[in-house]
Amino acid sequence: MSRPVFPQGNSNVAADDGDSLNFCSTCAFSQACLAQGMNKGDLLQLHVLVEHVGPFHPGDHVFRKGDPFDAIAAVRAGTVKTYLVDRDGHERVLGFHLPGEVIGLDAIDDERYPCNAVALDTVALCRFSFPRMAELAARLPGLQQQLFRLLSRDIGAAMRLAGDWSADQRMAAFLLGLSQRLAMRGFSPRRFQLTMARTDIGNYLRLAPETVSRVLKRFQDEGLVVVDRREVELSDVARLEALAEPVLRV
Amino acid sequence: MLSNPHFDAGLLRRYDRPGPRYTSYPTAPQFSLDFDEHALREAARLSNGDPIPRLLSIYVHVPFCLSPCFYCACNRIITRDRARAETYLARLYREIDLASTMFDRDREAIQVHFGGGTPNFLSPSQLREVVDTLRRHFHFSTHRDRDLSIELDPRSIGPNEIAELATIGFNRASLGVQDFDAAVQQAVNRVQSVGETLACIEACRRYGLRSVNVDLIYGLPRQTPGGFGGTLDTVIAARPDRLAVYSYAHLPETFKAQRRIDAADLPEPEAKLALLQLAIEKLTAAGYVYIGMDHFALPDDDLAVAQARGSLHRNFMGYTTHADSDLLGIGVSAISHIGATFSQNPRDLPTWQAAIDEGRLPVFRGMHLSDDDCLRADLIQHLMCQGEVPVSALERRYGIDFADYFRDALARLQPLIDDGLVRFEDDRIRATSQGRLLLRNIAMCFDHYLDRPGIPVKFSRAI
Repeated sequence: MSRPVFPQGNSNVAADDGDSLNFCSTCAFSQACLAQGMNKGDLLQLHVLVEHVGPFHPGDHVFRKGDPFDAIAAVRAGTVKTYLVDRDGHERVLGFHLPGEVIGLDAIDDERYPCNAVALDTVALCRFSFPRMAELAARLPGLQQQLFRLLSRDIGAAMRLAGDWSADQRMAAFLLGLSQRLAMRGFSPRRFQLTMARTDIGNYLRLAPETVSRVLKRFQDEGLVVVDRREVELSDVARLEALAEPVLRV
Repeated sequence: MLSNPHFDAGLLRRYDRPGPRYTSYPTAPQFSLDFDEHALREAARLSNGDPIPRLLSIYVHVPFCLSPCFYCACNRIITRDRARAETYLARLYREIDLASTMFDRDREAIQVHFGGGTPNFLSPSQLREVVDTLRRHFHFSTHRDRDLSIELDPRSIGPNEIAELATIGFNRASLGVQDFDAAVQQAVNRVQSVGETLACIEACRRYGLRSVNVDLIYGLPRQTPGGFGGTLDTVIAARPDRLAVYSYAHLPETFKAQRRIDAADLPEPEAKLALLQLAIEKLTAAGYVYIGMDHFALPDDDLAVAQARGSLHRNFMGYTTHADSDLLGIGVSAISHIGATFSQNPRDLPTWQAAIDEGRLPVFRGMHLSDDDCLRADLIQHLMCQGEVPVSALERRYGIDFADYFRDALARLQPLIDDGLVRFEDDRIRATSQGRLLLRNIAMCFDHYLDRPGIPVKFSRAI
């Protein structure tokens, strides 16, 4: 059975969506908890696991900047975009969060969400009470590590793009990053949909939207990728890796 | 390379049943009044968000004709009042202005086509104004493949005007001929001399148009093998790059103009088939390649080359070399295909005008394609263009098990397999040389909407 093409696999994810006792297949915390002998039932008893929420529809906000922070959320299905709006009204995309990934981590400091989070397609979330989770994390070193790991991954992704990279390098790193993240959640690493608009990709990579298209078209002409509407197929991963290597090395 | 179609009268007779022509799938009768301007704008916005947004094709409908051809099934308005063009163009420019703002400016227009009606109801200077307006609002591709094409009525255009069209940038023309037989021309109210037609073809060549297409129709009243054969010989001698040989579909209840045709003058089904056979034999003997449906082309024409390369496409404007583009239809009754949607402008002039005068995009109906619609549209496109269904490619692309997904369709296909119209070949289903003339019958097996009883839809017959 070939792996589902993101986000077509939503139905697979739903079929494998956990229940009162089992974690979702994409859960960011399941391994850390299970390794500590905590199953989902235990978490429920401890009131850590708040609720499954959604579906959010494209354009729906999951939270807005300044909303009081009481929970972090793991994406169960779909893509969430986090962004800020500067004083001139310009949007700055901070990141794209795929199934199994966590949003709201950067709110821990402030007790308020420091950014906006919006659904790009049909999104389902799992909300965790943060105070309870923090208590639990104190008792479960594995969970704490996992939280730190997720937090540093968030920061790392943002740091990587801050370097002085060419458009080609940024794009190759972006595609490979998505590919690796989707692969970890059981999706096809070679074919996936870009659920974000090219303006969002451009904003995130700090490229003009036309440049996004121009680079991808050139990648396509050179046999690195095949693009059809939102769907991307990585046809030459080795060459993409060579291109992205300096970015990913950071 | 696809073989030429094989003419089998018995089979063609048996499969001569009503069906869509699949210039779109789903077909226009499935469009819904719920689809509005907002839905079209949203589709355009989403299409701008594609990582590589599709190129644009633009269709401009000019509804006016100087006189009614009785066979016509197009949306047109008969008038000799040339002033009507001006009021129409004023609205057309507003529509271009409104529609163009939906698209990101870096999206290139690769194909611009004027259809009708009779586009050359507009004078060359009016056509220049329309093209200039389009150029101001859209980014015309500078690629050598960019098409600027127009349907011409040789009865109302001469070599001097064609010279002017060439300076505007028109590089492809399609000429209506139908039949040179005088008896037929009278019966359909379209009297057109060989001389003025050949002069048009000659002018298109002289002024550097890249290709000339000629439209013929078989099955017209009083048509005979002798007369139609003569027409074919005359046309073949002029060597147009492309030829379309359409079947006349007599549907007088639907198309008012056709009520002026005396059904008693129509050729019997046998005689009509003989006309098709004559056309296929003469054209293939003259070296024309059968492209599919009603279309033939010289082997070095872009269409034939694209078909050989597997890169042929088909949209509302017919066969094209351009990969899937987003199609924007401008003008009364025009159809758009943006992203996974179809939409159509009002078919009557007053409604179309009223919408534009209110500053709205004149959407009258349309539909969102489901995933299933997109899969079947892709399948039918392959069938119409390459004469085959690439089974494993579709399985891979859509994540389906073909045999399972299309169990019902394959059951409907079985009689066609038994009759030798299609066969399984490795990982594809291929139309045989007998089946190539019955592509729409093959496609109908995969048409989800034909399963549904109770949808009153009138389609023309296959042959």
